[in-house]
Amino acid sequence: MSIEVKNLVKKFGDKTVIDNVSFKVNDKETLAIVGFSGSGKSTILKLISGLIEKDGGEIITSKGDIAMVFQYSALFDSLNVEDNISFALRERRDLRKKFTPEQIRDIVAQKLELVGLKGIEEKFPSELSGGMQKRVSFARAIVTEPNTILYDEPTAGLDPISSTLIEDYIVRLKDEINAASIVVTHQMSTITRTADRVIMLYDGRIVFEGTAEELLRQETPYTKQFVTASLEGPMQMQA
Amino acid sequence: MGLLQKYYKQSATYKIFTGVYETLYDFLDTLGKITENGLAVAKCILKGQIDKKELIEQCSRFGVSSLPITLSIVAMTSVIIASQVALEMVKQGGGNFIGMMMTILIVRELAVIMAGFAIISMIGSSLASEIATMRVTEQIDAIRVLKVNPIANLFVPRVLSGMIMMPFVTIIAAVVGILAGAVTSDMFAGLSYMAYFDSAWLGVYMKDLWVSILKAVCFGGTIGLISCSCGYYASGGAKGVGLATTKAVVWSFVAIVIWDMVFALIFFF
Repeated sequence: MSIEVKNLVKKFGDKTVIDNVSFKVNDKETLAIVGFSGSGKSTILKLISGLIEKDGGEIITSKGDIAMVFQYSALFDSLNVEDNISFALRERRDLRKKFTPEQIRDIVAQKLELVGLKGIEEKFPSELSGGMQKRVSFARAIVTEPNTILYDEPTAGLDPISSTLIEDYIVRLKDEINAASIVVTHQMSTITRTADRVIMLYDGRIVFEGTAEELLRQETPYTKQFVTASLEGPMQMQA
Repeated sequence: MGLLQKYYKQSATYKIFTGVYETLYDFLDTLGKITENGLAVAKCILKGQIDKKELIEQCSRFGVSSLPITLSIVAMTSVIIASQVALEMVKQGGGNFIGMMMTILIVRELAVIMAGFAIISMIGSSLASEIATMRVTEQIDAIRVLKVNPIANLFVPRVLSGMIMMPFVTIIAAVVGILAGAVTSDMFAGLSYMAYFDSAWLGVYMKDLWVSILKAVCFGGTIGLISCSCGYYASGGAKGVGLATTKAVVWSFVAIVIWDMVFALIFFF
C-alpha cells in the first residue's frame, strides 16, 4: 500500500468540499480522480500533499516522498531548467549535503532524458512550450525518487499529440520509479491511457469506483452523464 | 424577524460596523501573520538555515540597486532644506551652525527615513510582487511539496539582506546628504565649506551614529519581512498581486514611521 485515505473531510467555511471520502492506491498503481470542475478533485491532491489541512479523517502514506505535478507546471520562472529540477537536491536540508554539484548535474541530465528532453538545462521556463514545461515539472517531481506522484490535470490545455506524449510519460514514470500515481483529470484519453482504477467525485463524495472500462460502459447515471458529457443527469453544475 | 434582519443588514449602521470589523480583523490578521513569519525567520537564522548564494544576490538587489534612487532622494531633500534655511540663518547670525543643523538632521533622521522610503518603493514593492506572483502561480506550493522550507528559502535571504544592506545605504546617503547641504549652503548663502564643516561635527555624537545604524537594521529587516509576508499570503491572480504590493508598501511605510517614533522616544526623549 502506498497511500490510503480514510473518511477524509475538508470544509471551506460552511461548505463541505470533501465529504467522507475513502480510497486506497497501491504501489505501481495509477488512480484517476475524475469529476466536474469544483467537485473537490484538486482539493484531495492538496490534502494528500499537505498543502492544506484536513478537517477530518486520515491520510496514511508509506515511507518516502510525495511529489506533485501542478496543473500549470509551477516551474520557478527565475531559475533555469537545471536549477528547477535540482531545486530539492540543493535546498532541502536532508539532501543538501548528499550530492556534489557534478552528481546533481548528472541526476538532472538523467531525469531530463527520462522525460525526453536532452540539453535544455540552460533554458528558462519562459523559453519552453507548455508541453515541455510540463515534462520539466515531471523531471522536477521525480528528482527525489518519490513513491507517490500526484498529477493535477496534467494534460489540461495541451494539444492532443502533446497530451498523448504526457500520458505516455505518466505510464513510463510509474514503471521506471515504481511509484503509485494519482491523476486528477477530466480528459477521457488521460483516463483510458493511464488509469488502472478510476473514482468519480460529485459534490465532495465518491459516486463511482471502478476501472476505466467500467466507466466507459456507462452503467450508472453518473458514469453515463460524465462519458456522454450530458447536461441531463444526477450531476448538476452550479450556475 | 427575517424582514427586520434584512432591513437591518441594508442599514448604514450595519455597513459601518461591518466595515470597521473587517478592517480591524484584516489588520490583526496581517499583524499576526507578520509576527509569526518574523519569529520563523529568527528561528531559521538562529539555526543557521541561510542560503549564502541567495543572500548575496538579495544583498546586491537591496543595496546596489536601491543606491542611486536613495542617494538622489537624500541629496535632493538636503538641497531643499539647505536652500530654504541657509540664507535665513546667515542673516540671523547663525550661519556657523548650518553645518551642525544639517548634520544632526541628516544623521539622526533624514538619511535613514528617506533611505527607508526609497527602499520601500523600490525594493519592498518588488519583493512583495515577486513573492505574490510565486504564490498565485503555485510556485510556493511547489516549494512546499518539494519539502523545502519557504521561510528559509524566500524570507531569510530577503529579510537578512535588508538588515545587512540598509545601514550601508544609510551611511552613504548621510555622507551624500551632508555634502549636498554644504554645496547648497555655499551656493545660496555664500557659506564657506570650511565654516560648514567646522560646525558639522558639533552636534553629532557617536550615539547618533549607532542609533541611526540600529534604526537602519530594524527598518531593513521590517521592510523585507512585511514585503515578503504580504506577498506570501496573496490570492486571486493579478488583482491579488496588486493588492499585496499595495499592502506591503502601506504597511512598510507605517511600520518604519512607528519604528522611528519608538527610537526617538527611547533614545532622544
